[in-house]
Parts: sequence; C-alpha cells; structure tokens
Amino acid sequence: MTMILDIFETGLSLGATYAMAALALAFVWNSIGMLNMAQGSILMVGGYASYWSVQYFGLSWWLGFPAALVAGAIGGIATYYATVRWMYKSTTFDTNIVIATVGISTVVENGVVKLFSGYAKRQPFFVDGFVQIGGMAIRYQTILNFTIALAALVFLHFLLTRTRIGTAITAVSQDKYAAQLLGIPLQRIFVQVLVISCVLAAGAGVLVTAVIPLSPYVGGEPLLKAFIICTIAGLGRMPAAFAMAFVLGWFEAFVSYAFGARFGFPSMLLLVMITLLWRPHGLFGQNRIVRQ
Amino acid sequence: MITKVTQGTAGSTAARWSASQSAHSRIDLGIGATLMIVACCLPMLDPGRYVLGQMTLFFLWAGIVTQWNLIFGVAGVYSLAQMAVFLVGGYAAAMLGFYFGVSLWIGIWVGGVAAVVFSLAVGMATLRLRGPYVMLLTLATTVAIQALLQGDVDCYVKSATTCYPLTGGPRGMVNFGDFGFVKWLGYKYAPLGGYYLALTVLITGTALAVVVIRSPLGTAFKALRDNQTLAASRGVAKVKFQILVFAIAGFFTGIAGVLYAGQFRTIGPNMLNLDTLLFLLSMLVVGGVGTRWGPLVGCAVIMLSQEAMKDLAEWQMIGFGAITVAFVVFLKEGVVGAADKLWKRWRRQLSGSHDESKFSKGGELPFAKAVEGNGQR
Repeated sequence: MTMILDIFETGLSLGATYAMAALALAFVWNSIGMLNMAQGSILMVGGYASYWSVQYFGLSWWLGFPAALVAGAIGGIATYYATVRWMYKSTTFDTNIVIATVGISTVVENGVVKLFSGYAKRQPFFVDGFVQIGGMAIRYQTILNFTIALAALVFLHFLLTRTRIGTAITAVSQDKYAAQLLGIPLQRIFVQVLVISCVLAAGAGVLVTAVIPLSPYVGGEPLLKAFIICTIAGLGRMPAAFAMAFVLGWFEAFVSYAFGARFGFPSMLLLVMITLLWRPHGLFGQNRIVRQ
Repeated sequence: MITKVTQGTAGSTAARWSASQSAHSRIDLGIGATLMIVACCLPMLDPGRYVLGQMTLFFLWAGIVTQWNLIFGVAGVYSLAQMAVFLVGGYAAAMLGFYFGVSLWIGIWVGGVAAVVFSLAVGMATLRLRGPYVMLLTLATTVAIQALLQGDVDCYVKSATTCYPLTGGPRGMVNFGDFGFVKWLGYKYAPLGGYYLALTVLITGTALAVVVIRSPLGTAFKALRDNQTLAASRGVAKVKFQILVFAIAGFFTGIAGVLYAGQFRTIGPNMLNLDTLLFLLSMLVVGGVGTRWGPLVGCAVIMLSQEAMKDLAEWQMIGFGAITVAFVVFLKEGVVGAADKLWKRWRRQLSGSHDESKFSKGGELPFAKAVEGNGQR
C-alpha cells in the first residue's frame, strides 16, 4: 500500500513538473504547425532569468517567476525573427523549422555555458515542506507546480475560445491562406503564438528547475519529456497533453520503482515508439491533411 | 490550356531529359574521378600524421553524411537515427572483438549487416509516419539507446581489479583490437592503412549513392518525397523503396562505424550526443540536402571551418549552430544546390534553352513548376 502511495506521489510530482512544458509545446504545434526544438533552451533561459533577478537584483524570491515570463517573451520574439519570419511561406516549413530550432538551441546553450559557466545553481523559486493527505506526503512544490500548470491550461482554453486573438489563432491553425485572405495578419499571429508559447515554456523552466538543479543543459530532458507526452497524446491536443503528463509520470514512477531508475526514461521512449507504431498520430491526435 | 501545352512538349522534353541525364552522368564521373585521384595521391606529398588523421576522419564523416543524405534528402524520410545506426555497426564489431577475439576485418561485415538490420527496423517503424513525427520517433530511438548504454553499469566481466559492463557502460567499448596496420605496415606507415581503407569505403558508398540517385530508383525516391499521393497513384511502391534505401544506407553507415571504432580504438555512447548530430546535420544542410555532391562539399566546409576555429574550441558548437540556422533560413538548397541553380540559369541565358529548370532537383514542387513554366511560354 505504501508502495502504491509512493508511486502515486512521485508520479504526481513528475507530471506536475512537466505538464506546463508539454502544454507550451502542444500550443505552438497546434497553432502554427511548428515543432519547437529551441523550447528546451527557452526553459533554461527562464530558469536563469528567475535566478539572476533574485540573486543580482535582490528581488524577493517569488518575483523570479514574472521575471522568467518576461525573458520568455523576449525569447519568443527572438525566435520569431531568427527563424519563422523568413521560413513560414516555405512548403518544407514543418521539417526545416526543426533543423533551424535545433541550431538555435545549440547556440543558446553553448552561449550560456560560455557566458555564465556550466556549474549547477539553486533555483530560488521553490517552497519547502509537505502536507499529509491520506497517508501521502505531498510536497508544497508539487501542489504549486500543479496549480500553475492548471492555470496555464485554463488560460489557453479561455484564450482560444473567448478572445479575438484566440479566434484568429484558431483560424490560422485551420487554414493560414484562407485566414490571410480574410484579413488576419499572419505574421502578427505568428509572433503572438511564439510569445505565448515561449512565456509558458519559460514559466515551465522555473517549475522544472525548482525540482532539478539549474544548469545550461537543464532544458534537454524536460524538452524530450514534453515531446514524449505530446507525441503520445497526439501533437497539438492540449487537454490530452495535460492529462498525459500525469499518466506518464505515474508510468515512469512505476517503472523506476519496479525495474530500477535507469529504465524510467528509456521505457517512456519505448512507449512512444509503440504508440506511434500503433497510432501514427498519437492516441488523441487527428490526421492533419497537409496541402501539397 | 495548360494541360495541352504540357502534353504537347512531353515527348521532346523526355528526349532532352535523357540527353541532359547522360551529360550530367559524365560530369558526375569527371568530378568523382578527379576527387578520387587527388585523394589517392595526397599521401605522396607526405603531409604528416595530423593531416592524414584528419583526412581519414573526413572520409568517415563524409561517408556517413552521404548515406544519411540518401535517406534524408533523396528519399525524404527525415530520420535522425543515423548516428544510432553508425553506433550499432561499431558496437557489433567491437563486442565481437572483445568477447570472442574476432578480427575487425570480419567485424566490418558483421557490423554492416547488424546496421542493416537495425536500419531496416527504423525504416519500417517510420513507414506510416510523416515529417515531424519521423524526426520525433528517430530522435527518441537515439536518446533511448544512449540512455540505456549510459545506464548499463552492472558488471558483466568481473575480475579482481576490473568491472566491465556488457556494453562497456558510459565509457563504451575499448580493447577490442584494431585492423593491425601497425603490424603490417610498421609504425611510420600505419596511418596510411586507415586512410586508404576509409577512402575505399567512401568511394564505394558515394559511387553507389550517386548511381542510386541517378537511376530510375532515385527518380522513384524523389517522386515519393515530392508528392507521395501522386507517386503512389502512379504505382511507386513506398514500402519497397523505403526498405531498400534504409538497407543501402544502413550497410555503409554501419561499416563507417566499424572503421571509426578501429581508427580510434574506442566507441561509446557519447557518439549519440546531440552535438554530434548537429555537427553532421550542419554538413548536410551546408552542402545541400538531396544533392549528389552536397555531403562531400558540406563535410569539407564544416571540417575546414572546424580547423579554422581550432583555437576557439568552446565557440565551435555556437558557430556550427549559427551556420546551420543561417543555411536553413536563407539558403536551404545549400552550397551545391545554389551553385547548381546559378550554373543552370547561366547556361539557359547562354543557349536560350529553358527546359532545364523543370527537372532541377531540390525544388519542392517539380510537377507544379513544370506546369507553371510551360504556361508562361
């Protein structure tokens, strides 16, 4: 019984940590069909922004989070002007953007190592302690991460269904040429989507680095986990991605417990392979008809 | 109207196409022979061990990128599992050498076959997937293999002083022997052995790749890449061709893995780092994805710039990343593709002929372009 509760608690904590990163990835794919490999570096930049603002500007610890969001917005605009701005008209956008963003993330990661050393830092944005619920010790950090990720999901839902920007984004995601004909400024929508997704990613970076130490390479694992979550859920399905983050968290916790921690990550990757072989667009994904 | 024009010129363009094909084949043959002679003669200038070693490495990387280009550029299957295939070949030979004392000369063939098997598995797994999903699955495969290798720390061979995991663990395989060049050629001439062996593999692999691209097989690959539905409706069997291209590329990539293991006497999971992947990707992108000579040119450009940035080692990855972004964004047809385009435009202006553009490679919509071109006239 204790074992099951243990696995439940670990899985919940893992899921809460990665849910927001998965949401950011799902949102940008859903809106403009972009697989953003640079998101790992945006996560890392978000974590560092929070660290620096508290460490060097003497802000109180919780102000690190909004600082990270600002850094994320800047990162989003930079990503747009470095890549998407020049590429979105190309018919091979969906694959070339992957290569371009891999390049960007290499530049950013190595740049941060070069400028600020590769040593791991301690994220100031974290809360200690835990609460006993039904025999489980649930950490406050898990609750905080869960709440923020849930807030992000609700925010995205309201954005897409209740606002003008959201309607325009939905139109672009359905058919960008038709949207353009109807007077929707395509480039502005792209900037908005990238800024929103990078803000979410930077926030996710703070949540992630509250759990694992902050270093220039910290973005790689959350990015891959977010990919795994999104791929299994079906790229672009946001509520499914949110739920899948927890399902996979429990799965990883179970495998780590049953077979040893070193099989946790590879088993998730195995799960991706099996899922894609069985359902090529993920469990809840739809076949996007791509115009040739 | 447009359809009529297309039909009207179909017969004559086919004839001109085959004529330009054979002209291109002669150019290909000329380039290939020249490069081969230069590479064969280079050691006579006695350039020293360092240059020979770098050239050997160049042959290996160029061989891998050429095969990757077949899958990635020509067949249009965006597989990122190339380094995993490379590693499977290298590990197969290294483990045979370490546990059974099998010579690497036999290991070459075993490694090649093992890599074919693995490559076929990847090829079949990605059959139903498209674009970004292929990238995700193959990237996941690569990362999973790396994580498993690095996590392999249980002792398989255990003695009083050493503990050796089955796959060598995070350090990888060592002490599995080499090709024996030092014994045969003496210490002084040993690097020449590795040099010519790598050159032979590169020449064979490149020759095969160029023949594949030039043959009807290559046309089928390109048809599937450019418009899968149209190609399928014309009777091009995707399953058959995808399996074929993964088998061919897998074999030479695996052999390159064995050569790498023999040359450096070690092979480990660090070869699956994303940095290595980006390094090779930048070669592919700079040279020109899907072009015949792009991999060689790209490899030369990147390795020369690596040489130029030798004193700034920690800036290298930033440089390669920036180069990759710049090429994907502003010159996605690569150096070779751009040169090809310029050359064709120049020739067109010179002769007043205008058919070449229709069959230029690297364009995304050759069919649409052909119609467009005819309509304008």
